[in-house]
Amino acid sequence: MDITLIPGYQYMPELVEMMLKIVFIFTMNVGVFAPLLGYVERKQSALMQDRIGANRAAILGFTIFGLWHTMTDAIKLIAKEDFIPEGADKPLHFLAPFVAVVPALIAFAVIPFGGTYYLWGHEAHLIIADLDVGILFIFAVAGIGTYGAVIAAWASNNNWSLLGGVRTAAQMVSYEVAMGLTIVGVLMVYESLKLTEIALIQEDFFMWGIFLQPVGFLLFLACALAENKRVPFDIPEAESELIAGYFTEYSGLKFAMFWMAEFVEIVTISAILTVLFFGAWHIPFVTHDGLLSLLTSVVGADIGNLLLMFIHLAVFWGKVCFLIVFLMLIRWSLPRFRYDQIMKLGWKIILPLALVNILATGVILLVVK
Amino acid sequence: MGPSHPATHGTVRFLLRLEGERIINMETEIGYLHRAFEKHCENGKWTQAFPYTDRLNYNSAMQNNVAFALGVEKLFGVVDKLPERCRYIRVIVCELSRLCDHYTNLGAAALELGALTAFLYFVEARELTWDLMESICGARLTSNYIRIGGVTADLPENFKEHVKEVFDRNREFYDDFDKLLTHNRIFLDRMREVGTISAEDAIAFGFTGPCLRAAGVEYDVRKANPYLVYDELDFDVPVGFTGDNFDIYLIRMEEVKQSIRIIEQALEKIPEGPVNIDDPNIRQHSKERIHDDMESMIFHFKNQIEGIQVPKGESYFPTEGSNGEVGFYLVSDGGGKPYKCRVRPPCIPLTQAMGFRVKGLFLADIIPTFDMINLIGGECDR
Amino acid sequence: MAGGYYKIKRGESLTFWERLYLPEIFRGLSVTTRHFIPNWISTIIAYITRTPEKRKIMTIYYPEELPEIPDSYRGKPVLVRAGNGATKCVACGLCEVACPPKCISIVGGNRSDGTRYPETYTLDGSRCIFCGLCEEACPVEAIVMSHRYQDLCEHDRSKMIYSKEDLLVPEKDLQSRLDFIRRRAYGKCNY
Repeated sequence: MDITLIPGYQYMPELVEMMLKIVFIFTMNVGVFAPLLGYVERKQSALMQDRIGANRAAILGFTIFGLWHTMTDAIKLIAKEDFIPEGADKPLHFLAPFVAVVPALIAFAVIPFGGTYYLWGHEAHLIIADLDVGILFIFAVAGIGTYGAVIAAWASNNNWSLLGGVRTAAQMVSYEVAMGLTIVGVLMVYESLKLTEIALIQEDFFMWGIFLQPVGFLLFLACALAENKRVPFDIPEAESELIAGYFTEYSGLKFAMFWMAEFVEIVTISAILTVLFFGAWHIPFVTHDGLLSLLTSVVGADIGNLLLMFIHLAVFWGKVCFLIVFLMLIRWSLPRFRYDQIMKLGWKIILPLALVNILATGVILLVVK
Repeated sequence: MGPSHPATHGTVRFLLRLEGERIINMETEIGYLHRAFEKHCENGKWTQAFPYTDRLNYNSAMQNNVAFALGVEKLFGVVDKLPERCRYIRVIVCELSRLCDHYTNLGAAALELGALTAFLYFVEARELTWDLMESICGARLTSNYIRIGGVTADLPENFKEHVKEVFDRNREFYDDFDKLLTHNRIFLDRMREVGTISAEDAIAFGFTGPCLRAAGVEYDVRKANPYLVYDELDFDVPVGFTGDNFDIYLIRMEEVKQSIRIIEQALEKIPEGPVNIDDPNIRQHSKERIHDDMESMIFHFKNQIEGIQVPKGESYFPTEGSNGEVGFYLVSDGGGKPYKCRVRPPCIPLTQAMGFRVKGLFLADIIPTFDMINLIGGECDR
Repeated sequence: MAGGYYKIKRGESLTFWERLYLPEIFRGLSVTTRHFIPNWISTIIAYITRTPEKRKIMTIYYPEELPEIPDSYRGKPVLVRAGNGATKCVACGLCEVACPPKCISIVGGNRSDGTRYPETYTLDGSRCIFCGLCEEACPVEAIVMSHRYQDLCEHDRSKMIYSKEDLLVPEKDLQSRLDFIRRRAYGKCNY
């Protein structure tokens, strides 16, 4: 049978490519990063605090620094009883974790994790959906994630959960505004909302977002941490005040889903930071074409392209990993804010600063041009 | 809120009336850890009360030991006749336990505010200090070290070197902790202007210790009414301004420094000599003497079986614990058992004022306020 | 008497430096990084070279590594088995009366040569609070607090009632504690 007879044959490579990319991102997030981050968080905090950290689980006497704990954690969470408290709103209680985790995963669709490569006559773009309004899509999707927390809080029929939910809603809504504005400076500099274009401009080391928009970077980092609900902005789940906040009444796999949502959000934030401020997949002082021609001269065009793709993937995920470690460092070093202080910080400090940043960027751009 | 809530360590319950996040009214319920300490003491002999006093404030067990021993010695009228070395040892162990207590308290406050790393640095410092305690008395928490008229054992060999080693590391941890928190805006915002109390109110509530001094009252039992050898040592007492949590925090941080200073001085000055009082009615003779000397043995048997015969009367000896004034009100009917043994824990007045101090503040403000008073369930509920 | 009261250093309001958030946050981060990096490197080196003692971490990897126990440590109370294989205990009953939770009970008897010995010596491990008062009371150094702190827990309280045979430990195993008692505690330093 001639393969060309299948309807839609000409779309086959795109379809395969798309499937591969989705599978890759999904595995990266759910299969690798979510459990691994649980491990990294435990191990890194332990090392920062002069402790050893998880290292007991062993197979045949090999502990490999306790990496097996990622597996044992998963097994433990799966094996746990799925508890629904008395008086809870069951459908909503069931729905909430999904609402929390799905947007976190979807947001990754518009983040480019590599450039464009020509492999055996096929043009591969390492991005799942190259939207023109990539950043806006991320904000929109992240906004939905808030509902997960609020629904969970409401459905749990627990005072602490409810307080956590109220705090979540207030915090997320206010920081979304600030977050949107902090990013405007970046968009003005790169004159695009499309993440791939932003990434391409940063091929030049001195065009990296962190040099062009240092204030924007700090503000965005603060907002991103707040959106992610981690220390120092973790008041929705502040364990000494609200026990565990909105997911107090969750256990087993549903708890694991909230947990996973949090970790996937960390990865997403790191990826966004990489794309916007840290030159995406580019190596400093090495251009795409330069490296490609070098590789091509050694191993040929197709293999060269493939190699380049892997190099870029490694660079991108390396940067992401570095940022994750940095975020963890922040999380384990700082105390947390109080509810009203977070609001004050968001509305009275970050928002005006973001506006001033936009103004200053505009003025400088005008002067430069 | 509570009794089993992450913030209410030491099982205490807060009945809160909230308006959103603002506290309209708060009542404190204590007593979840009541285990009849006073009755226990009254049913045992005088010496047998020591293991129970360990379990009052488990962070600074030695101070309770010392307070109880001094109370009984006051009944005997021998407080001034204690050997010099014994007094120095008592001061050293008291200050070591003050260190442990402040480390725990400051660390726990940091922990509850989310700074887990700072907490663990002080836990490490505390572990090292507890190692010192262990080498003195044989246990980290349940010290059971002080006896009526003396102490169980002399300081171990090479103690001075060991202390120096530990303090060098403790200073590093202290600096790290200081850098992590003292000037951190997030931490300052949480601590400053929260739980403010005026000097008059603090006195009216019966505050003692760091919380009273934070309110600006210059009162420290070690200075106002020196006992043991505190009047021979050179140390200062920090005093605050407003009585808010940040003042208490700073005072505890300063007291850590002062305690280290006291211990170093005491170790310089400590004389050689006996550690127990020379009176077989109060403190047993040495083991060898009991073995060889008929009279000592008879005294020993009599004291063990009937208990030490404490003269009739009542006494109260105030000492400066790490949270405030610790003292035992003791009544003796002249027999081998305490007729009445009442402890004055510093926590109760502090806990009592919780509602007063946090009224009108936010729910989250309970956490630092409650941490800085350092409620110890074992001591508060007895 | 030297020294007095002094006021703590506290500004009326936050300094500009403190208001900025970031400098102090970065200082905090530098502290934790300074702990993190050496710990990380030393852990990896220790893992690869299999020399756990060279870690810069304070945690003791129990039970593979055991903590160092000072001489004064009070572990499980045990009876001393003298050179002739019998206990030194003369069943005087002082430990019985000295014990605050009353966990010791003794039934005394006479040997053929007239010396007293405990026919049964029962120590209820589930009630013992490891205070060491029995050791202090004992006139013949027959009961001492050993350095043993492991395997003292049971699922069943009835298994924690130790008989005389369970408690007897040869004298040479307890030498460090006995030395300590003779050297430091209740002994030389009294009048």
